Amino acid sequence: MSGTVFDIRRGVSKDGPGLRTCVFLKGCPLRCVWCHNPESQSAEIERAVTTDEVCGRIMSAGEVMAEVRRDAVFYDSSGGGVTFTGGEPMMQADFLFALASAAHADGIHVAVDTSGFAPWAAFERMLPVVDLFLYDLKCIDSGRHRELTGVENRLVLENLLRLDIAGAKIWIRCPLVPGLNDSDGDLAALKEFVRRLRNMEKLEICPYHQLGIEKYAKFGKPLLYGNRNSASGKDVERWNRIIYCDV
Amino acid sequence: MNYAERMARLVARKIEQTKAKQERLGSRDEDDYGLVLPPENFKVDLPVRDAAGQWSGPRSWALNFRWLMENHPCYIDPDDAIAGRWMFMLSRMRLGYQLSRSNFAFDYSHLEPIQRKYDITTGIGKDAHFAPDYQIGLDLGWGGLLEKVRAAKRRFAEDAYAVELMESEEMAIVGIMAWIRRLAAAADDRAMTEDDPVRRANLLEMARVCNKIADARPDTFREVVQWIAIFNMASRTYNRDGAGGQLDEMLRPYYERDKAKGVLTDDDAEFLCFCLLLNDPHYYQIGGPTGDGTDQTSRMSYIILEAAAKLKSSCNLTIRVWDGMDRGLFRRGVEILLANRLGYPRFSGDKALVEGFMKNGYSAELARKRIAVGCNWMSLPGMEYTLNDVVKINIAKVFEVAFAESGSLAELEENYRRHFKAAVEITAKGIDFHLEHQYLNEPELLLNLVSHGPIEKGKDVSHGGAMYYNMAIDGAGLAVVADSFGALEQRISVEGALTFEEVKNAVLADFAGEEGERVRRLLDSSGRYGAGGTSADRWAMKLTEILNSEIANHVTPDGFKLIPGWFTWADTLRFGKVVGATPNGRKAGEPISHGANPLPGFRKDGALTAMAAAVASVQPGYGNTAPWQLEVDIGLADEPDAADKLMALIDGHFRLGGTLVNINVVDAEKIVEAHKDPSKYPDLIVRVTGFTAYFNSLSPAFRELVVKRLVKERI
Repeated sequence: MSGTVFDIRRGVSKDGPGLRTCVFLKGCPLRCVWCHNPESQSAEIERAVTTDEVCGRIMSAGEVMAEVRRDAVFYDSSGGGVTFTGGEPMMQADFLFALASAAHADGIHVAVDTSGFAPWAAFERMLPVVDLFLYDLKCIDSGRHRELTGVENRLVLENLLRLDIAGAKIWIRCPLVPGLNDSDGDLAALKEFVRRLRNMEKLEICPYHQLGIEKYAKFGKPLLYGNRNSASGKDVERWNRIIYCDV
Repeated sequence: MNYAERMARLVARKIEQTKAKQERLGSRDEDDYGLVLPPENFKVDLPVRDAAGQWSGPRSWALNFRWLMENHPCYIDPDDAIAGRWMFMLSRMRLGYQLSRSNFAFDYSHLEPIQRKYDITTGIGKDAHFAPDYQIGLDLGWGGLLEKVRAAKRRFAEDAYAVELMESEEMAIVGIMAWIRRLAAAADDRAMTEDDPVRRANLLEMARVCNKIADARPDTFREVVQWIAIFNMASRTYNRDGAGGQLDEMLRPYYERDKAKGVLTDDDAEFLCFCLLLNDPHYYQIGGPTGDGTDQTSRMSYIILEAAAKLKSSCNLTIRVWDGMDRGLFRRGVEILLANRLGYPRFSGDKALVEGFMKNGYSAELARKRIAVGCNWMSLPGMEYTLNDVVKINIAKVFEVAFAESGSLAELEENYRRHFKAAVEITAKGIDFHLEHQYLNEPELLLNLVSHGPIEKGKDVSHGGAMYYNMAIDGAGLAVVADSFGALEQRISVEGALTFEEVKNAVLADFAGEEGERVRRLLDSSGRYGAGGTSADRWAMKLTEILNSEIANHVTPDGFKLIPGWFTWADTLRFGKVVGATPNGRKAGEPISHGANPLPGFRKDGALTAMAAAVASVQPGYGNTAPWQLEVDIGLADEPDAADKLMALIDGHFRLGGTLVNINVVDAEKIVEAHKDPSKYPDLIVRVTGFTAYFNSLSPAFRELVVKRLVKERI
């Protein structure tokens, strides 16, 4: 079993608990206007237009797991593990299942970072081998969700509720972009929705940053939403105040 | 006036003193050492110097040392609990002294051609670099030590060398006693003119303490702290010795006794420890197991750690991390490291150190007592003579010699092995030469007094006086050589992208011209040591096997046991200057790699776990270290679990076999700014390697190296 991977980062501390290895699977069905990994969107291996950099390579599950296992001692000492992210890792569902199963069999904590946009059957299959879902909630209003990501959010919200009912551990992650999905109404709706979840352990705000912006030119992709400013301290303060006051 | 105010004033004065040192002495890529400048009009007029500005032998050293002690300016600070600061380094006063090459009274030119061929740092004539057992001095006091050497002199009346040595020890002690008495008088004098009642009382107590410990053994906590400081300063003055000991256990009995009597509070004890650490950044260990394997963390350990936290100056405190430890001490140490960002404390890994040292045939009890008291090194206080951290083989130079003779990778490996073996042989001969002559060149007059054996046997510690001889040999340049082998294997053997001849031509021409640069880029971009699973990673482990195969469980021709390690100290620039271009894409004369660390840029993500695993994978594993030097840039921000993550990283490294971790938690932007204009940050302290130093006292070239080393990764 093999798949397309565009990066493997070790010693990451932001995508799940403890020290983690993040495996980035290539390909995403969404086209979020703020995406900071535009080179991850296409499922194909791509060549940068301004440098000789190549994004993506075919790797076997064994090759990926050899990398993942290198930091086993640090997963153990920190309560960390592996996080499969992307792109949208569920787009390579069979490969992801093979990887998650192998890690799970090794006793490595498995997190999947997902937009939630994949058939329920794929999620259901993952349940026994995934310890934590890092689940993006971008916008509760379906129409706006479509404008911002290219897809409606019915499937996203349904899958989330189903995962919750199935007892999966969930960390909700909200990528917030000033002026795009952070109105009082957006945040109120978000809070209202997550109140329904019984197995949500955490809700994280992921403030928009500009760090990926130069990659659009590098990979010859049009900037979908122009050159926006990163979220300010004031924005983050406001989001925190509204979202965390009684979640 | 409270302790906090006194501490603040003492730290401010320390910064002024550092600035003055820099102005008068210039940049120095060394430890701060705690020394202060003598008054400008003070003239050193040593009684013994030959026409060439040299001296040797016990009596000459003793006469010169005694002169220094008897004339040493008496530094008194009314805010300080400790009298005295040290100002001179006798061992550097012989004409032509170089840090990289000690003056030596015996000709070893028969060894030098091969030593130079492999750029061996020979250790010949090097002093100190093993650890004292202060308890010997604390139990006897200077008066008791004087009696002890006088008795030994009578006992060895038939042995001319022993008599000279003991008479020299006497002179050294008498000089120290005179200095302590003068310190007492100076404190008394100062008290007369001091208006502030707290300072005045402090000065009078300082005088009383000095008057007592000039002869009698110390009894109270304050007397013990002053005694240790006096020994440290005297020993520094003699030959820069900076090894401390297990400070918490050394102080605990006196602390407990004074506490029980109601004459000492925890605040008093903390202030006294603060003054001791400020006086001199000696290397101390806290925590860790006793010889029988129980945890020796005590209230005293925490008091020392909190004193260090308040010090905010150069400090070399190590916490021993082990399975049975009080994790609270570990956590507090990490919290201080993260909050203060001054490069201390450091952490040593008990498991690998103990298991490793036992492989040399020693008991677990002894191995547990071998503690962190030097830059990269462990030592058995008072029992062992080691030449730690002063004997090094520049393996980049060994590689260069082998490469010039080779036409293929297989041939290169064979040649490297052969030349490395020859390099170890010449190094071992150098060690023997040192051990044969050093007692006549520069006897260890100060450390002999606090070692088990020299006085009892009438022999210098470097010449049969010590209980154990475990001679250290460190390899330097690991990543440069591993990456060079790795690049050759990847680009030539695996990919066929280059031929050996192409590489050789380019390397020998220092990658000149367009073609040279093309080859250099290909080599430079190959998989590095530290990335995980690369050819270079495998070569780094192979180089460790080669290191061990020639050093571990080997003895010198004269039968002295050798122990391997990986360490460059602060010598990456010097080692690099003598090595031409290397096949990792490094140009001629550029610095070599630091210790066991991968080269900067070893992975795109700079992953700390990858680095931790890599450095653990190259541990020689015989009780000496291959330290992990880690620079972490951590934003001021909001990392509530940073301590947990850093502890996990250190724990993981030690579980994999790591031995010692030196960490800088720094603000990268501040370091870059300070590099441009050092005067902007006079209080910025960085861990250079095993030691910490004020950033602005380092040379521009060395500051540049520290900047390059920064890993801009959040924990």
